[in-house]
Amino acid sequence: MAKDHRAGSKVKGDKLPAIVMASDLLEGDTVFLTGKGWTRDSKHARIAHDQETADRMEAEGKASAAANAVIDPYLVPVEISDGGHPVARHFRDVMRQKGPSIHPDMGKQAEFGPLT
Amino acid sequence: MYRYDEFDERFVRERVEQFRTQVSRRLDGSLSEDEFKPLRLKNGLYLQLHAYMLRIAVPYGTMSARQLRQLARIAREYDKGYAHFTTRQNLQFNWPKLKDIPAILDLLADVEMHAIQTSGNCIRNTTADQFSGVAADESEDPRPTAELLRQWSSQHPEFVWLPRKFKIAVTGAQHDRAAILVHDIGLKLKRNDAGEPGYELSVGGGLGRTPMIGKIIRDFLPKDELLAYVEAIMRVYNAEGRRDNKFKARVKILVHETGTEEFKARVEAEYAKLDGPTINAPQEEIDRIAAYFAAPDYEDLPATSLTLEQARKSDKGLDRFVAQNGFAHKQPGYIALTISLKPVGGVPGDMSADQMDAFADIADAYSLGELRVTHSQNLVLPYVKQDDVPALYADLKRHGLATANAGLVTDIIACPGLDYCSLATAKSIPIAQEIARTFADEDRQQAIGELPIKISGCINACGHHHVGAIGILGLEKGGRENYQITVGGDATEHAAVGERLGPGIDADDVPGAVEVLVETYLSEKQGAETFIETVRRTGVEPFKASFTGFIEARASAQEAAE
Repeated sequence: MAKDHRAGSKVKGDKLPAIVMASDLLEGDTVFLTGKGWTRDSKHARIAHDQETADRMEAEGKASAAANAVIDPYLVPVEISDGGHPVARHFRDVMRQKGPSIHPDMGKQAEFGPLT
Repeated sequence: MYRYDEFDERFVRERVEQFRTQVSRRLDGSLSEDEFKPLRLKNGLYLQLHAYMLRIAVPYGTMSARQLRQLARIAREYDKGYAHFTTRQNLQFNWPKLKDIPAILDLLADVEMHAIQTSGNCIRNTTADQFSGVAADESEDPRPTAELLRQWSSQHPEFVWLPRKFKIAVTGAQHDRAAILVHDIGLKLKRNDAGEPGYELSVGGGLGRTPMIGKIIRDFLPKDELLAYVEAIMRVYNAEGRRDNKFKARVKILVHETGTEEFKARVEAEYAKLDGPTINAPQEEIDRIAAYFAAPDYEDLPATSLTLEQARKSDKGLDRFVAQNGFAHKQPGYIALTISLKPVGGVPGDMSADQMDAFADIADAYSLGELRVTHSQNLVLPYVKQDDVPALYADLKRHGLATANAGLVTDIIACPGLDYCSLATAKSIPIAQEIARTFADEDRQQAIGELPIKISGCINACGHHHVGAIGILGLEKGGRENYQITVGGDATEHAAVGERLGPGIDADDVPGAVEVLVETYLSEKQGAETFIETVRRTGVEPFKASFTGFIEARASAQEAAE
C-alpha cells in the first residue's frame, strides 16, 4: 500500500448539498455530523445546502477530530433522495455510507436499512 | 513447526504491553491520530473504509491447527465471524474495534502469533513456497531460511524505518510457487558445482505502480553468508533508497535508477566492509532452527494407495478433487492437498469461523496438525496419507471446502478492493465473483485448464494483477469504475509483467472480455499448451485483436440500444 489512508471525496465540480463523514475513533466505523455531535445513521446527518454552512460543518468536524472523537472528517457531496435522505454522489462515499457491497448483512445497510 | 523460545515469547508479550499503553493513550486523548498512526501501523493496524483492520503475520504461511482455532475464536468474539487470507500468506480481520486490539493481541500471543511488522516501512513477513518441505520437486526446504530471516529482521534496530516496506520470498524448488522474482529480495536455494548449498539471489522485483522483475545479483551465495549479504543489501538500500518520494522509494527503483551492475558493485563493496562472522548466524543456531523443520515420522507406505485409486473410480467428485488439488509429495504414499478458498460466488480468501474450526480438526486428523497459507489465498494440507483422502474429502465437502479448482480460471486472486480498502479505486471481489459464475461449469474449467486470473482494485497491486496470465486492474475514470485488462503476466520462474490489451472497460463487460480471451486461447492453443504458454508463443497480438473486436461489438450494441 502506498499510504495508509486516502481521505476526501473525489466528486468534481459543484459540491453542494453536502454532509460531513468521518471514522469513529473507538470503533473505526463511519459516522455523520449532526446538529450536535455524530450519528451512525446517515438519515440523521445534517445537510449543508450553502457554502457557508458547509464550511462551518467542516470546521466542526475538524475540531471534533482535534478533540480525538473522530478521524479524517471530510465533506461529502450528496443528492437528496425521494425520501429526503442524503445519498453520497461518489461510489466510494456510497460504499462507506452503506457498507460492503458483497455483504448486505454488514455495515450501515444492515443496521439502518436501505436509503430510500 | 518453529516454536517460540523464551526470548521470542518475552519479545511478543512486551510488544503487546507496549501497544496496550499506546492504545490507552490514544483513547484518553494523549496521542493524536497523527502521532498514533505510525505506532498502530507498526502493529499491523490499519483504518479502512468501514472499520479498523488488523493484519496478522503467518510466518512463511505456516500455521498450526491450534493457531487456526484461536483465530476462529477471535473472529467470533471480536469480529464478524470470518477472516481473510491475503496474497502475502497473512490473515486479516476486517472489523475489530480499537479498544479490543490489545485483548486480540493477547490471544494471538497465547498461540505464538502477532501483528508486528505486517505494515509500515520495515521488513515484512518472509514468504515461501506453500509446499515447503514436502514438494516432490524441491531440492531443499526453504523454511529454515525463512525462519532465520524472520528472526534476524524482527525489530532489527537498523532497519525499522526503511525508505519503504521490504518483502523477501524464498523457494527451494525448481518451479517457483513463491513469486520470488516480484519481491524486493528473492532467494532460490541451490547447490553449486561442488555440491555446496547456497542461494541464487535477486533484488528489485516488485509490483505496484512500477512493476519490475527482480535482477539476479548473485548466482551463488554460500548458505552461511546469507545474513551478512542481505544486511549489505539492506544497508545500501537504507542509505540510498529515496525518501523524498514514496512512489520511488522501493528498492526496485533504486536498482533500476542505479543500474544492476552498479547496484551490485555497491552491495559487494558494503559486504566487503562488513564483519560477516559477527552477523551470520552461528551454526548452533542454524541447527537449532533446522531441527524444527525436520521431516515428521512418516509411515512406510506404498507409492500409490489402492484405497484411493478405487475410491476415485467410483466417485467422480473425489477423482476431480485429487486430480486438480492434489500435489506430488516427496514421501511415498503421501499427498499434499490445496484447499481452495474460492468457491464459485464466494469471496476469494475468506473463511468463516466455523470453517476455520472444522478445518483445524481436519488438519489435526489428517495432516499432523499443520496447514499452510498460499499466496493465491488458498490453504494447503501438507502431510496427508493418500489412504485418508476419501474420508478427508467427505469432511471437506461437509464444510464447503472441497472446491476442485486449484489453479483453474475460477481460482482467482482478488484484493479486498473498494468493498473494504481505503486506498482502492474500484471494487475487486465482485469482479472475481462474476468471472467465477461465468465459468462455474466444472467441465468447462477443466477444458480451459490452468489460468491464473489476478485482480487489483488499485494501482498498488495487492491482487498481483501484473503477473496474472489475465490481469485486471480497477481504476476510476470519469466518476465510474473502469477496468484495464492485461495478458501474459507470470509470477513463476518465467516471471513477466502482463501487457495491456486496450482501453479500460466497465465492470459489466469484464466477464465477457475474459470469455473472449479464453476463446482466443482455445483457438490458438497447440497441443497441451496452457494459456500462458500460448501467450508466450503467440505474443499478445491475437488477444489484442479479439479484445478490440469485443470492445467494438460492445460499443455498437450500446449505440443501437440508445
